[in-house]
This record gives sequence, C-alpha cells and structure tokens, in this order.
Amino acid sequence: MTTHFYGKLPNLTRRSLMAGTAALGGSLMVPAMARAQDAQPRSGGTLRVVVPYNPASLDPIAGRNNPDFNTLLMMYDALIAFDPETLELQPMLATEWNFPDPTTLVVKLREGVEFHDGEPFNAEAVVFHIDRCRTYDKSNVKSDLTVVDKCEATGPYEVTFKLKHPDATLPATLADRAGCIVSPASVKATADGNVDRAPVGTGPFKFVEWQDNTLIKVERNSNYWGDAPYLDAIDVRIINEFNTAVRTVTAGEADLVLNMSAQQMAVARRDPNVVAEATPSMIYYSAFLNYGEGSPLADVRVRQAMNWALDRQVLNQVLWGGLGGGNCSMFPSGFWANDPETENYYTQDIDRAKSLLKEAGFADGIEIETHTWADQAAVQRQEVIAAQLAEAGIRLKVTPSQPAQAMQFFLNEKRGHMLLSPTGGNPDPATAYDRHFAATAYRNAAKSELPGYRELADASLSTFHFKERQQVLYKMQRFVLENALHLPQFTSAGIIVRTPKVHGFNFSLLQRPRFHKVWLEA
Amino acid sequence: MNGIPGMIARRLIQLVPVMIVATFVVFSLVYLMPGDPAVTIAGDYATEERVEEIRRIYGFDRPMLVQYFAWLGNVAIGDLGRSLFSNESVLTLILARLPHTILLVVYALIVGALIGVPLGILAATRQGTTLDKVITSVASLGVAIPNFWLGIILVTMFSLNYRWFPATGATSFFEDPVKALYFATLPAIALSTGVVAVLARQVRSALLEVLGSQYIRTLRAKGLSSGAILWKHGLRNVAATMLTIAGLQVNRLFSSAVIVEAVFAIPGVGNLISYSALNKDFPVVQGVALVLVLVVILTNLLVDVLNSIFDPRVAATT
Repeated sequence: MTTHFYGKLPNLTRRSLMAGTAALGGSLMVPAMARAQDAQPRSGGTLRVVVPYNPASLDPIAGRNNPDFNTLLMMYDALIAFDPETLELQPMLATEWNFPDPTTLVVKLREGVEFHDGEPFNAEAVVFHIDRCRTYDKSNVKSDLTVVDKCEATGPYEVTFKLKHPDATLPATLADRAGCIVSPASVKATADGNVDRAPVGTGPFKFVEWQDNTLIKVERNSNYWGDAPYLDAIDVRIINEFNTAVRTVTAGEADLVLNMSAQQMAVARRDPNVVAEATPSMIYYSAFLNYGEGSPLADVRVRQAMNWALDRQVLNQVLWGGLGGGNCSMFPSGFWANDPETENYYTQDIDRAKSLLKEAGFADGIEIETHTWADQAAVQRQEVIAAQLAEAGIRLKVTPSQPAQAMQFFLNEKRGHMLLSPTGGNPDPATAYDRHFAATAYRNAAKSELPGYRELADASLSTFHFKERQQVLYKMQRFVLENALHLPQFTSAGIIVRTPKVHGFNFSLLQRPRFHKVWLEA
Repeated sequence: MNGIPGMIARRLIQLVPVMIVATFVVFSLVYLMPGDPAVTIAGDYATEERVEEIRRIYGFDRPMLVQYFAWLGNVAIGDLGRSLFSNESVLTLILARLPHTILLVVYALIVGALIGVPLGILAATRQGTTLDKVITSVASLGVAIPNFWLGIILVTMFSLNYRWFPATGATSFFEDPVKALYFATLPAIALSTGVVAVLARQVRSALLEVLGSQYIRTLRAKGLSSGAILWKHGLRNVAATMLTIAGLQVNRLFSSAVIVEAVFAIPGVGNLISYSALNKDFPVVQGVALVLVLVVILTNLLVDVLNSIFDPRVAATT
C-alpha cells in the first residue's frame, strides 16, 4: 500500500534561466555551461550561502515557516525523503514503510546511523521523537500527528504507528518537520527540552554556531551514514534585504543566495558573472476567501466571478516575470496531483464575470474588503489584481499590514472578506487541501466546509493506491475550482542567484534544499 | 553637590524614571500595534487551538500591565529575557550587535565633523563669496540626500565596480580594528551626509554671529590677527553649539542606522529592532529600547559635561 510513480515535471528546466546567457545573448555562456557539465565533483571548500530569513528555530518541530528548511536539512535527515523534482517519497532514515492495513503504518529503520552526538539512531529514538512531537509544549507539529493513536518500537529498527483512522498522507508527514529526527540525548540534556539553538540530528552537516539573524555555521559530518558530503563547511549569512542579499554574490562575497523574487532575478541577469535560476515551486499566490454566512462571498457566483475576472498569464508575466505558472491550480504544471484538464479552469472572461455578478444581485458591482501584506511586492500584486477585478466591477477596499497582522485581522477577528497571501509548500497535496479548506483549517476563515468536500477529503486520506489517489485529487481540484473556494493567481518559482562555480544545488519543488551533493569548483 | 560631579549625579538619578517611562511607552506602542505574535510563532498552517496554546504558554493572554511589570521585574534582577522567536538571550543579542552600531555612529560622526566643521568655518570666514554659496548649497543637498540611496550608489561604485571596499558585512572592532574600520567606511560615509550638512550650516551661522559681535570688533581694533581671533575667540565660543549639535546628531544617527545597516547587511541594533518590532518580539524590542535610551541619556550627559568644561555656568543650571 505504498504510493509509487511520480512523473517528472516536464517543464522543470523550461523556466530555468541562465542569467548570463540572457545578458550576453547566450553565446559567451555556452563554454562556461559546457565546462560546468564536464566538471567532476570535488570535495572541499566552504560554501557561502545567503538567505533572507532568520530561522524560527533549529529544532525542526518548534520551527514554523518554510524558509527554516534552508538550513534544517543540512543538520537533519528525515525518516522519509522526497524526490526534489517530483516529491516522490524515497527512503532516508527509513529504508521501507508500508500499510499492512489502513490504520497501521510499519516503518523499517536504517541501521548503523549515529546522531552527531555519537548516540545511536534506532526505534527507541524515533518513538521518543514522535512522542515529543505530540507532547512538547513548543511543538508546532502536534496537529500533523493527531491521526496517530500510538507509536511503538516493534523491533530495534522497526516502528509501528497505529492510526485513529486511515491516513495516506502520514508517510509524507514523516518527510516533513515531524520526520526530522532529533537526538533524544540532546533533548534530555536540557532542563526544559528546548533545543532551538542546539540542533543535533543525523544529517550530513553538524551545527557549529548560530548568531541570531546574522550567521549560521555548519561543518561536514565525517561520520555521515550516506555518501559523504563534498563541502567542508557551509556559512549561511542571513540578510533580510533582498537586493543587498543579491549584491553579496555580485560582489563575490557569497556563492549562493536563496529565496529571491523575480525582481532580483532581473537585477542578477545584468551581471554576466552570476547565474540566476528559477525552478517550479509548490508555493503559489492566492487569496483566502471568507465564504461564511453574511459575507458577500457566501454566494458561489461572486467567488466564481472573481475567478473569471483574472488574467493569470498576465499576472504571472507582470508580477513574476513569467517565471511562475499562470494557471489556477494550487500546484505547478506537471505535478502528479495537478489535473491538466482543470488547471486552466478559469481564464479571463469579463462578460461572464459581470453576468455572474448580475445573477448574484450585484449588477452595479461589488466591494470586497481585502487584507494584504504591506511590503512593496505585495502592494504591487494587490494593485494589479485590483485593476483586473475592477474590469468586472469588483472593487477592492484594501487594508495593508504586516503578515501576522493581516492573518490576525482576517482569520482571528474575521474582518474583511479576503486575504491576499502566498501559500503552499506542503509535501502531500491532500494536506494542502486540508490546511486551507477543512472546517478546522486555520486558513479557512468561514470555519465551514461545503457539501461534498468532506467525502473527497476522506477519500484522499483513505486511498492508498497511487493512480486511484491521483484521481481522487483530480476530483478535489475540480471541486475546489468549481466552488471557487479561493482565488488562485499564479504559482511561483524558486529563485536562486549563484556563482558559476557552485554545482549540484537543487532547490526542490518545496524549496527545501539538501546540500550534501553540492560542490564548489576550484 | 555642585559643579560637574553634582550635574552627573543629578542626571544619573533622573536616569531610572526616564528609562521606566521610555520602556513603558515603547511597550505600549508595540502592544497596541495590530498583530498577534502568537500567530507568527504558530507559523504557517497553525490551528486555532495551537495559536491559543501559544498565547497561554508565552503569557500573551495576560493584561498589558501585568506583562510589562513582569518584564520590568526581570530587568530589575538583570534578566532581559529571550527572543520570542529564536529563543536567543536578549542581552547576548544586544551585546553582539551594539558595538557594530556604535562604531558606525561614531565613525559617521567623526567623518561628518571632519568635513562639516571646516566647511562651516570656510563658509563663515568667506561670507557672501561663491565658496560660501557652494558650501551652503552642498549642505542643503546633504540634508536632502537619503542615506540608503547614497549607500547604494557608494556600493555600486566602490564595491561592485572598483572593488575597493566590501559591499556588505562587518567585523568586530575588538578583534580587528583596522578591518572593522575598513568594513564600516562606506556605511559611515553614507550615514554622515546629514551630519556634514547640519554641522556646516550651524557652525557657519554660529560663527557669523560670534564674528559679528561687539567684542570681536574690539579685538580687531586692538590689532589681533584674523587667525588668532578665529581660533582663540571665535571657535571657542561656538564650541558649545558644535557639541550640542553633535550630541543631537548621535541620536539621529542611531535612527538612520536602521536603513544603512539594511543596505550594507551590518548586524547592528538598528537591524535588530526593526526586525523585532515588525514581529512584535517584545523582549527584544524592550531590551534594545532600554539600551538606546541609556545611550541617548549618556550622550546628552557627555555633551553637558564637555559644555561645562567650556562654560562652567552650564553645570550650575542643568
């Protein structure tokens, strides 16, 4: 009952761009590219990475946001890995896993693995870790494991999860934060179990130091169970200002900068000595809608009208330089759970949008109270979206604020009808739906589910065969679009800027890079 | 107690209530600012229950005054707390970052004084000439130029094009003073334009006033050279003005450093407080506010002490 076969994204490299190629008309970069392909991996060197976000914590279960993974997978291995281009689950600390029945997951563990503190990795360590995930007061993954009734060691290197109900997403959960195993000894060595700043995992690199919002240093784990990492060490500088971050690469002060936006891509393209790349991403831009009672968005026709009013190709082009995907899916084109038949369910049709509004009783247009982030890129995004919606008579009354404030206004205080926000980045598509549209989902301001949603959601959890599950998720995609449960705008791209001497880096669909195969040209 | 020691004692006694009021105002502002740190801490895809749980664990569900006095009580025993987000000790954060900002501010002040004061003297002693007009115009420009813009121009020219200076970063002054100054040069220049402009204008006008006064005319009539009048009598009388202006500039430089630190990726307190305030990281914001209030008060005290040395009447009246 394991899932299998995940098709490669056909457009993974289509949107990958060599910045210098663009700048120099391509010809001058060809020899460099050829050299890069011919070059053989070499060991040694310290990779200088720049990231714009300070990790919330270096304890995987106490962390919060996706950019934490820029550093987490240097130090931690998860029980289950994912293919960076397809998200197909792969063995890591777990060598195999299976569901002997729908409510039991048996995981066989790799032998001969040690944590960085020399303690052995085994079933006992995994059980301790899962218990900690479920009980530690700073654990942010409790909700990921509510399905687990019991986790017990059924052998020195075998763990069995007994579930409250069938859940096909659990293996993917074990590829996420909850699966990143922390050394039990390191937790027990602290007074309060807090290892935010003292990470001990089994990963290819060992923690050295973390200067808050400034620098994180790791060094090679010479006792790594897998292929030895090429790099001696990695210095991760944290520079919050995006343009400053890119300047470190152009000035030769860093080798690689992550999590950039299309604007920095354009800047980097002007420099022939750096490479800027964009790859498909599971992060997408959308608007959460409050379709609860009393909201004008309770009427599906209004929500559909908004969706028909957007020209997503233009949004992608204008706001992301064409680097993302201009369709209305939550996933990039080619991803296994993305139904190609419905990914363009909505294309701009202003007449249809107006007609739906008229049917809903808003012939003179409608005003939608909207929350958005206050940064420059978010304001630009909101302006373009507002202009497109205005063509259909949908006027946005916008309140910009910091992300946490916008979330509080919209989700906690139930103010306004819509929140514009990037989202996504879940390893399993069923989880992605659940975290947005389930009645219990924090991002569901309405706190209700539309008829038909629960049946599909339950089917996505209890269907284990890959092809059958794919069909269920296709139906879910259609359901979400037909009912216009949100206002998808475009899928983003993972954007990095690097020097040509950096090789082997893969940002992955989830923007969660592993660095053990990265190497530096001499 | 009279004289300078008395003035210092009075100021230090005033320090405690000023710091309590200042930190309370900062705490209130951050508290009243919309946004819930529990939502940030809970992160992407939090459940409502988790957000509630975090409020309880961190004590955000307590009344504002209770939270403030709990913080103040801990400060009284020397505990500034830990960052809500990274769990780092606030004292460690500040001690790691403050030296970078102080170096930047002092460096910018020195650069500003070295350029601004001579320009002011030149303009005053050549009043009405083309040079005076040029200096006055340049001073106006110095006030108008945004620090961040100049910073970017300097980086583009001297870091990216000529590679004379690093584009980003900082080094500890205590570990390698020369390297630290090298790293801080471009940011200090970017930060100093306002100081240059203000000092040049203020020195010019103060000096013009002094040079036009009755006793200077008397000194001229007695046959004293212009140089002697300027250096012995003119500048000594504008010293108090220069010191006061420089003191005020220190306060302004600390606030301007927020932007310059972002442009040059300097891990200073400006960067820290902006990042923390946006995230409503109360302990860090409070800790930095406390330290900055202390810095401002001590700077003002230093200015007054120096003024008292030039003019003993100051100590008696402050």
